[in-house]
Amino acid sequence: MHLVSFMLKPFLIILLLVGVFGLVYLRSNFLKLEYNLGELEKKKMHCLRDRKMLFAEKTSLLSFARLESSPSDQEGFVLPDRLKVVHIGKQVRSLPHQASLKQKQLAEP
Amino acid sequence: MSKKRAVILHTAIIFSFILVSLRLADLMIIDHKRLTEKAQQQHIKVEDIQVRRGTIFDRKGRELALNLELESLYCDPEALTADKEDIKKLASLVKKEPRRILAKIPDEGRFVWIKRKLAPEIADKVRDLEIEGLGFVTEAKRVYPKGELASHIIGFVGIDNQALEGVELKFDKYLTAKGGKVLLERDASGKTLSSGVNMEAKGNNIVLTIDEVLQRLVEKELDKAMEQWKAAAASAIMMDPYTGEILALANRPAYDTNRGGSVSGFEKRNRAITDCYEPGSTFKIVIGAGSLEEKLVTPNSLFDVSKGGIQVGGKTIRDVHKYGVLTFKEVIQKSSNVGSIMAGIKLGKENIYRYSKLFGIGDKTGIDLPGEVSGWIHKPERWSGTSLGAISIGQEVAVTPVQMLRAYSAIANGGILVRPHVVSEIISPDNRIVASFRDNDVQRIISAKTAETFKDILKSVTEEGGTAKSASVDGNLVAGKTGTAQMIDPATKRYSRDKYVSSFVGFVPADKPRLAMIVIVYEPKGQIYGGVVAAPVFREITRQALSYLNVPREDNLGQHALLVLR
Repeated sequence: MHLVSFMLKPFLIILLLVGVFGLVYLRSNFLKLEYNLGELEKKKMHCLRDRKMLFAEKTSLLSFARLESSPSDQEGFVLPDRLKVVHIGKQVRSLPHQASLKQKQLAEP
Repeated sequence: MSKKRAVILHTAIIFSFILVSLRLADLMIIDHKRLTEKAQQQHIKVEDIQVRRGTIFDRKGRELALNLELESLYCDPEALTADKEDIKKLASLVKKEPRRILAKIPDEGRFVWIKRKLAPEIADKVRDLEIEGLGFVTEAKRVYPKGELASHIIGFVGIDNQALEGVELKFDKYLTAKGGKVLLERDASGKTLSSGVNMEAKGNNIVLTIDEVLQRLVEKELDKAMEQWKAAAASAIMMDPYTGEILALANRPAYDTNRGGSVSGFEKRNRAITDCYEPGSTFKIVIGAGSLEEKLVTPNSLFDVSKGGIQVGGKTIRDVHKYGVLTFKEVIQKSSNVGSIMAGIKLGKENIYRYSKLFGIGDKTGIDLPGEVSGWIHKPERWSGTSLGAISIGQEVAVTPVQMLRAYSAIANGGILVRPHVVSEIISPDNRIVASFRDNDVQRIISAKTAETFKDILKSVTEEGGTAKSASVDGNLVAGKTGTAQMIDPATKRYSRDKYVSSFVGFVPADKPRLAMIVIVYEPKGQIYGGVVAAPVFREITRQALSYLNVPREDNLGQHALLVLR
């Protein structure tokens, strides 16, 4: 009994110290994480900015006007020769449809 | 002695504690408010949530307008430490004169723009100058990756991304989003902590009915026509005659949308919807369809136009060529003014006016672009003695190109007046459909039978003996009508002798139309007739468009087979 009360005091003090340091450690880690997140967010914004830039460049490079102006034996665009096209299958759709991109991912980069 | 020292030590400690407590009370109670505000100013940074306009897509999902993130350069005049040499270097980088930069910087104040939305490489070079007092703010810049393409449809925005023209303006409330502010924590060195908040507010995306390829084909051929005929301007609109979806709409001259703010009003004008012109013979659709609908004529009714002229209200109106006796079909096919006036007289003032209104003449079409005008046709009670004759051949009436195209689309689709539109869907950033075009007020204006009969007549216009043989396309029948009209000379207020508007409006394939189109060339030099100037442009565009749209030929001349499964 005497031994227990003898051990209890230092144990409580150690526990208190560990608790205090633990709190400080957790708080500092939390702050560090917030800093890291802030940095990562900044990096993400930079990457997104670059991505948007590259995306705009890609869109511009893929424009029909550019493809059309390229030599036809390279990546240039050539319209199909209708004399060489045979249509088979169901009746050709003569009625138009509404322009829609329901199946397409439209999220901006 | 030791007791005395102990008392002094205790007193000093107690006194120190009292001092600390007093200071704490001062900081935490008495001066609390001021210090809290000061601490907040140092630790809390208010940042705007950036608003990003939605993307504009063509009907197949190709991007026509999107956003870039660029840095804008500002100056804090009170913190600026730059010398003349620095300003000189800065000026050469941002392409401004040094004196203009200096003139921008006031003696006091904390913020002034030096140059907005710099290219990334320029921003990096400016940063390398390490001039104290200069800073950067990231801003969104609207870019149009296709340049001049569809400039009159898409429109553009100003330096602050405020909508100024086209779809950007008309659908501004959908394209933008509400911004707001967010509080960010920062430390003594200015480093910000994560806010956990999305710093961007995105507007809705818009899907247009325009097809980039068709738009490009139309613009390319218009450029060629402008060059060939040294014309003052030109317009063309391609539309789906059944739905009113505009597939392409172009005007010349045009402009690069990325430099929209610096172009003249002449280039910015969307002539296809904002400019009125006298339609000339293309207006004979109203007289013809009205006469057929009222059963006053049949395609085989005979008109004696052998005199080559007809007197209306004391004025003689003549045909370009002399004909003998023509059937009603031939009157339209050869575009006989005399025959058309005879049909107009049969139809009568009231009916001409009524059918004009039914075909949408003098009323806005309701196209979803800013600046549309209604054109005009006077009520019969205001007509002069010559009006009946003049209106029967498309004079004394003002129309817009889109009105005429809509009228012809009614013949193409079996008698229904559709509403032309360029926006098909509005889609939220998380891919939900916010709004979709639905035309609930379509109106039948003539019977399907009349439309079919008149369609047959219009087919003959592009056949041998018609005025628009040059509009015919290999493999498919074209139905349409040419128009040649004198322009009003603004100086004399009379018809000009050398300024004409040449036009062709039609649809193809005639029996199951996939597209209707109008081509107008203003003030062509060398030739004036719609059949010579505008009809070949129609043919060239439709020839390529039918190939792109994979529309089958009707003449079955195919030799080699590439199978297209549908």
